[in-house]
Amino acid sequence: MWLLWAVVDVSGLSAADQAAVTRMARGDHDALAEVYDRHGRLVYSLALRILKDQSDAEDVVQEVFSQAWQQAARYQTGRGAVVAWLMNMARSRAIDRLRRRRTQPQSPLDQETAADVPDAAVPVDEQVAWAGRAAVIRGALEDLPLLQRMAIELAFYEGLTHVEIAERLEVPLGTVKTRIRQGLLKLRDRLAGAT
Amino acid sequence: MNETTHDAMRELTGLYALGALDAAERREFESHLMSCSACAAEVRALGGVAGALPYALPQVDPPPALRDRILGTAVSTRIRPEPRQSAELRQPVDRPAAFGAGWLAAAALLVVAVGLGAYAVSLRERLSGIEGRLAEALARLNQSEQQVAVAVRSVEAAEARLTLLTAPDLLQVNLAGQPPAPQARGRAFLSRARGLLFAANALPPLPAGRIYQLWYLTPAAPVSAGLLQPDAGGQVVAAFQPPANTVVPAGFAVSIEPDGGVPAPTGALYLAGMTMTQ
Repeated sequence: MWLLWAVVDVSGLSAADQAAVTRMARGDHDALAEVYDRHGRLVYSLALRILKDQSDAEDVVQEVFSQAWQQAARYQTGRGAVVAWLMNMARSRAIDRLRRRRTQPQSPLDQETAADVPDAAVPVDEQVAWAGRAAVIRGALEDLPLLQRMAIELAFYEGLTHVEIAERLEVPLGTVKTRIRQGLLKLRDRLAGAT
Repeated sequence: MNETTHDAMRELTGLYALGALDAAERREFESHLMSCSACAAEVRALGGVAGALPYALPQVDPPPALRDRILGTAVSTRIRPEPRQSAELRQPVDRPAAFGAGWLAAAALLVVAVGLGAYAVSLRERLSGIEGRLAEALARLNQSEQQVAVAVRSVEAAEARLTLLTAPDLLQVNLAGQPPAPQARGRAFLSRARGLLFAANALPPLPAGRIYQLWYLTPAAPVSAGLLQPDAGGQVVAAFQPPANTVVPAGFAVSIEPDGGVPAPTGALYLAGMTMTQ
């Protein structure tokens, strides 16, 4: 995912997160606690949403922060927001678990690691900004046509490919592509308008 | 990069941003991305949107014990600063044996909410299919009911005619064609208690604005019994209530009259017949 790292917008870096990760790289446990206290809830909520199982979600959160602890030295400030790095790890790991858990015959994709998503460029590290943004994102999602929203959520939270989404929603493949792109573009416009 | 490929690739930006392409598609798309700044910019924007999605989730506090576990693990793990190492911690997780009911409830709610969302879409589609079929079935039922009503009316009419034709006081009058329609024939069946039935055939087609009218011929003056509208073949069968207080008529006649009928005959006679005294 080098390319993605390269295209990620770095405008929203959180200076405090960056500093904490630098301290983590030097072995500062308080820095890990600081990052966990700031983002643990979001990472846990994401893992819980994907896995719908509390103990699995806890395992994922533990793996994510262990990985962050281990790889703090490799984390480079041009990569993107720390919170996006954490969420990306959480989503990949949670979806890997989800796929292992599924009893259906394995599709070629299932053998691989879940594809990373580009890291979020959203600068969120203050609770106030967060609450406002959460409301905006939630509102924008709720305003999407149901099938656009469903397709986006099936891809993001269930880790389904567009082929699987088309089967799940009983719509043609081309429709899934179009709906996901149109839905995300609409969300982008809404979020851009709100900032 | 030709335009067709570019357009096809551009359709994939959303799927790529959500990680919903399979491996081969993803490789192909990434190689396109290398050479296409427009798609790269869109992926960047949509990736930001995708990354923002978790903020909309209901935020759930992790159990406090998890924080202790994570920090405890970090304390016991030596950092290896070598930048290329990729080993990850995979220590057995020490889980509390029991969870608070609140957590279980929250997790259960999440499961239900998520399942309901997907289910709602498929339900909605099925529901609209069922509604369509229901409307169709109702329409057919309505049509059937109308047909039954028609059938009932025609049975009732047939029964009424049968009742009339078996009346003890039945009077039958044959009517013969008059000069304008020598081929025409008619028959009237009259029971003072059960009504009047009139049948005719070979009546000439009516000119526009005209109608046949059936008359009781009484000693005083002809009394209208009703209007007759023959079918295309010149046939007509019609039932009437006999006028109140009529005595046994001397006969029946059919004349052609202006549409709507008239109180007393004005037009040419087409059929006429006299009551036979028994």
